[in-house]
Amino acid sequence: MRFYFHLLLFVMAGLVVAFAPLPVPPIAPQERTFRIDARQFAYSPSELKVNPGDTVTLQLVSTDVVHGLYVDGYDISIEADPGQSATLTFVADKQGSFRFRCNLTCGAMHPFMIGKLTVGTNNWLFRSLGLATLAVFGALISTKQKA
Amino acid sequence: MTKIELTRNPFIKNALKSRYPQLAVFIVMLVGYIFAILAGLIGTPVGSHNFSIVFVWIAWWAILILVAVPFFGRGWCAVCPIPLPGEWLQRGAVLTPPEKRPKWLNLRVPKMFRNIWLQNISFLLLALFSSVLLTTPNITGIVLAAMLFAAIGLSAIFERRAFCRYLCPVGGFIGLYSQTAPIELRIKDKQICVSCEGKPCYNGSQAGYGCPWDVFPGGLTKNTYCGLCMECIRTCPHDNIAVNLRPFSADLAKPSTRMDEAFKAFIMLGSAMIYAGVLLGPWGAFKDAAYNVGTSAWFIYAVIFLSIIFVILPGFFTLGILKAKSALPLKQRFASLATALIPLGLMFWVAFSLSFVLTNASYIIAALSDPLGLGWNLFGTANAVWQPMLFSILAPAQTLALVGGLIWSARTAQKAANEVKVSSIPVIIYSFIVTSIMLWLLL
Amino acid sequence: MNRSELLSRIFVITGIILAIGAPLVFWTRTPLIHARMAENGGWNPDIIQAEVGKPLQLKITSDDVVHGFAVGQMDMQSVDILPGKVSEITLNFDKPGIYTFFCTRWCGLNHWRMRGTIEVSGSSSDPEPVSVPLYVTLNLDIDAPHDAPVIPSGQPSAINGQQLVTNLPINQSTDYYRANSPYQVFDELSSAVLTESERWDLVASIWKSNTTPESLANGQQLYAQNCAACHGENGAGDGVFADDLAASGEASMQTMTGAENMMMQSPVDFTNPTRMLGASPALLQGKILRGGMGTGMPMWGSIFTEEQIWDLIAYLYSFQFEYQN
Ligand code: SF4
Ligand code: SF4
Ligand SMILES: [Cu+2]
Repeated sequence: MRFYFHLLLFVMAGLVVAFAPLPVPPIAPQERTFRIDARQFAYSPSELKVNPGDTVTLQLVSTDVVHGLYVDGYDISIEADPGQSATLTFVADKQGSFRFRCNLTCGAMHPFMIGKLTVGTNNWLFRSLGLATLAVFGALISTKQKA
Repeated sequence: MTKIELTRNPFIKNALKSRYPQLAVFIVMLVGYIFAILAGLIGTPVGSHNFSIVFVWIAWWAILILVAVPFFGRGWCAVCPIPLPGEWLQRGAVLTPPEKRPKWLNLRVPKMFRNIWLQNISFLLLALFSSVLLTTPNITGIVLAAMLFAAIGLSAIFERRAFCRYLCPVGGFIGLYSQTAPIELRIKDKQICVSCEGKPCYNGSQAGYGCPWDVFPGGLTKNTYCGLCMECIRTCPHDNIAVNLRPFSADLAKPSTRMDEAFKAFIMLGSAMIYAGVLLGPWGAFKDAAYNVGTSAWFIYAVIFLSIIFVILPGFFTLGILKAKSALPLKQRFASLATALIPLGLMFWVAFSLSFVLTNASYIIAALSDPLGLGWNLFGTANAVWQPMLFSILAPAQTLALVGGLIWSARTAQKAANEVKVSSIPVIIYSFIVTSIMLWLLL
Repeated sequence: MNRSELLSRIFVITGIILAIGAPLVFWTRTPLIHARMAENGGWNPDIIQAEVGKPLQLKITSDDVVHGFAVGQMDMQSVDILPGKVSEITLNFDKPGIYTFFCTRWCGLNHWRMRGTIEVSGSSSDPEPVSVPLYVTLNLDIDAPHDAPVIPSGQPSAINGQQLVTNLPINQSTDYYRANSPYQVFDELSSAVLTESERWDLVASIWKSNTTPESLANGQQLYAQNCAACHGENGAGDGVFADDLAASGEASMQTMTGAENMMMQSPVDFTNPTRMLGASPALLQGKILRGGMGTGMPMWGSIFTEEQIWDLIAYLYSFQFEYQN
């Protein structure tokens, strides 16, 4: 009985960690422009950080062959030829960490040409770490009880 | 806990016992496999549009790691085409044993190789070249063909399926992780086996071949080395073999004490983390190093790869369990406690593969219509555009897999620690740390 | 051997033969032209035979990155050649001769080396007279230095110049424009009672009157597709390959062509007035037609039509002159 009570407690705690709404500190939206150089098989810069609500402009500059840039989660993309850079403007209205990746085959390692866009804090990572902590905590307690 | 005997159902039983359903699947798999080799060798060099890459590294891999291994253990080995030509030649028959067998050497594999170290090595060899292998149809074609011929060669020299048991690069981890699967093949009654004459399940009979995987079904306590080939169901004259549905990870309650298996756990755990960082991370320099085989950057990558797997991960693990008061030698504690990393490693691979597979699954649709990149459009889907799938569930699913894996491995650690009478806490903390790193890499 | 074993073997062997045979048969029956980056072989094959009056059907695939296909001096839309995909192209030739086909999407530093030829045999009904390019007629030494000794202090405005031009007897003919550099025209205007900047404005207006918005737009498109990767999107000679060109210099030339004494140069900066205002359209035509002879500047003679080159040149001067307000 006690075991199930504890289990229930942990599941509840887990749900709270996973889904409880977090207060969002109000940050005035900004306009941000990034020039991203694309080469086989990397972007530079490859990690972008913006705040939620920012208007983000990406200027994609291909430096060897034709590349694309697709942002996971936002489902938007551009492509650029060397000599013909392209820009993509969007409002970063989804929080979290998103990979952006080349969506035009550009050679062997093309599927792994990846960068990261982080909008605000990567809450899901912290929630996941919280869940992992909770899980370990539960495991340790149950070890103690048995011992 | 309870087990459900699937073979009690006459339909399942007959389907497993008869050779024809299996043969039909074998032929389809073999044809697909040979086609993949050909596609790799003569099809377009562009991996994402070549059947060999798309069907082996996306479709097959997804099915293997997300479905086959977690739910069916060595289920893949049951239908795997790689050893078939060698096995058929060795047996001199495709179906039941013939009157006259061909005179192959039929040697016993030397004692020093009768462990999974060769599999650890073959896996690592492929792993170090994986960036090239995963993206270059030619190389994939050559490797697939090499495995086919290696299996034939080993069948000609040694008895049974020496390739599967001791060399296959995927066989090693499938075996390791099959212990977590809710499916098992076991005997029903030990007493019957003890009094059984001739042990036809191991030695073969008119009805079928002796266990190709060189295990004695009567002694099976874990899934690791049973290839689910169903020969013993056919040969057992006492109907003493059962396929059971059982709780997940039942085998892990009795921790292994073998070093080769313990290191396999670290190899798999480590390579999942390295792949998550190198292939899915935003760091271009790593990708360059991993891809440019033979350059000095690649050698550095290889050294780092190997030291993470053989030094850093096992090293910290050893440090964690070093202090424990125990009568058992460190080596044995190490091997037993490493069992806890088996479910975690499997879940690392699930989480890593989810990202790779969901992102690239749309290539399967296009490659289906134009497998060789010759401009065909067999099913009208050749121009399907690349589009990641199910993005919204990806991160939650990965968290579920990793945190679930952590809980699973903590429970396993507790059982294993109980068995060797030490504290499970260091192992649980170790699992927590590597899980956190994996979460950070993937999310 | 019993029947079931025999049948099984037949199935297995048929399966294996099919799995090997079918792809081989289809593969040998589908002759594809493969496009690869120039470093890895370029077009294969790179010589194609054709006949006048017979449609030439091509199936082209890319083995690595995005390429494009077009035939030089032909009125055709360029076709994208995508990795792992097959593009089908039908061409019709009405004149015999040797045509150049080339890659139209930048595929690396050596993209422009990715060319091949189509040899069209047969006879044509009306043989065209061979036209000699203007720079040859004018006997220009296109490798001689041509710096302008004087440059304007600001960007000359064609609009301002247009207001002045009406009351002055100035030669605005195309022949005059093409044969003279902006500086030469500026110099000839010295007799008029005008300030220096007014004279430059006049030059700009003459240059503008010899082009049209359509030509400029066409020139701009040609520039973006073919020139900007080296000369820069803003003409400043700072394109994405500029550094690579300078760096790879000699080594690259040696491996690609065996020429030992040639050096890659940095791409010309079209925003540099000393250089641009001292160059006549005819001179630029020569440079574009012939190429840089080992400097990394491709030869465009077999690719652009005369019309296209004049459009491109008109656009190049827009880095110097202000055509609009
Ligand atoms: S043949 Fe059957 S009864 Fe005999 S040893 Fe094997 S499994 Fe046991
Ligand atoms: S014969 Fe039985 S024990 Fe041996 S591999 Fe096949 S199914 Fe497993
Ligand atoms: Cu190209």
